[in-house]
Amino acid sequence: MKKTAWAFPLVVLVLYLVLWVLTPDRTGRAVMAAAHVLGQVSFPLLLAFVMMLLLNRFVTPAHATRFLGRKSGVLGVLLSSAAGIVSMGPVYAWYPFLASLREKGASDFHLANFLGQRAVKPVLLPLMIAYFGWRFSLVFSIVSAFIAILAATVVGGLSRAGTGNENLPPF
Amino acid sequence: MKIAMPVDAPNLDAQVENRLGTASYLLVVDTETLDFEAVQGPSGTSGPGSGIQVVSMAVGMGAEAVLCGYIAPYIAQTLEKSGIRIIRAVRGRARDAVEEFQRGDFDRTEEAEAQHGEESPVHPALWRGAFQRAARQFVGMLPVLIGVILLVGLFQAFFPRQALTAVFSKDPFWDTLWGACAGILLTGNPVNSYVIGQTLLDMGVGLCGVTALMLSWVGVGLVQLPAEIGVLGARFAVGRNVATFLLILLAVPLIVGLSGGTW
Repeated sequence: MKKTAWAFPLVVLVLYLVLWVLTPDRTGRAVMAAAHVLGQVSFPLLLAFVMMLLLNRFVTPAHATRFLGRKSGVLGVLLSSAAGIVSMGPVYAWYPFLASLREKGASDFHLANFLGQRAVKPVLLPLMIAYFGWRFSLVFSIVSAFIAILAATVVGGLSRAGTGNENLPPF
Repeated sequence: MKIAMPVDAPNLDAQVENRLGTASYLLVVDTETLDFEAVQGPSGTSGPGSGIQVVSMAVGMGAEAVLCGYIAPYIAQTLEKSGIRIIRAVRGRARDAVEEFQRGDFDRTEEAEAQHGEESPVHPALWRGAFQRAARQFVGMLPVLIGVILLVGLFQAFFPRQALTAVFSKDPFWDTLWGACAGILLTGNPVNSYVIGQTLLDMGVGLCGVTALMLSWVGVGLVQLPAEIGVLGARFAVGRNVATFLLILLAVPLIVGLSGGTW
């Protein structure tokens, strides 16, 4: 672990201390809110850890490169989209899993697509329809999926530019 | 990912050499792009400790696996503890070794060795290794994760959702922009964005602002940006968030227009 890794949480903790002196009530509510978020994130984190364990045990760099690498084609897009759609819980619970996938050889396009497709939530569709009607909900979900793919293409392009290898496809 | 090999020439057609400490060159190859870097090795003239020196060089160049003929057990053990994969008994051309690595041939060999060595059908050695790697990756993420959770708490307490209504003006362009900006600051389950969106609609805010808020709620996140940068890099995280934000601004009129809603 990098020595500077704890700098970020320490800065936030200092912010808490300063705010606690200024507005103890509201800072107390912030502590409660953070504790609530920690409770919410626990199960998705456990799930992410189990997936990382399985990934490290069964998925080889060869698999990750073949199914989620730059040359994985439409199958790779479908796989990363499906994984993003079914993933649950806060996004940051999935960062360690994505880092692990990248170490194995998954491309930046697919990692970005995974993150973007989290906006598409079929399980929440009935609720969305109840609030906004079926037409809006359907258009919203379809356009969200396209936004994810387009943003992932941009990220794939940036990554390609970063490696200096312009001949590679973005996904 | 990058793999390192001791070789006899600075190119992919070089032969993989037996030991790191006596290698003519160290080749670090990106398995996906086949881009490589070659640095002069210690060669046969170097003394004890040169193997460790080469290994440090390989790790410094970003290698996550070392392919070689032989490696001293104490060096291998140290490297494996740090999550660097060691593959021994590699012979032949560097290019062929990379291809075998990509095909997973070495994985099958390792698995077969593990199965041969372990009588148990669950292969404890492979599970232990996988657990150690997962734990290392997970623990490495913890500080940023804790920071983000604390930051989310602050935002929830100091950024009241009622304040949202004040920024909307019923102008589709500005509502889209402010809605997208508000979504960047707020985090949580998408259900919350539906509830807030419906409340805003009931309060007379246009569908453009609500749609932008709901899209950026999940798609873009300022609070979790440090974590995303920490794990996936600034180019990835900033690029993804900026691209998604701009695409949201373009997509909102499309969604509102196609769904037949009022702007």
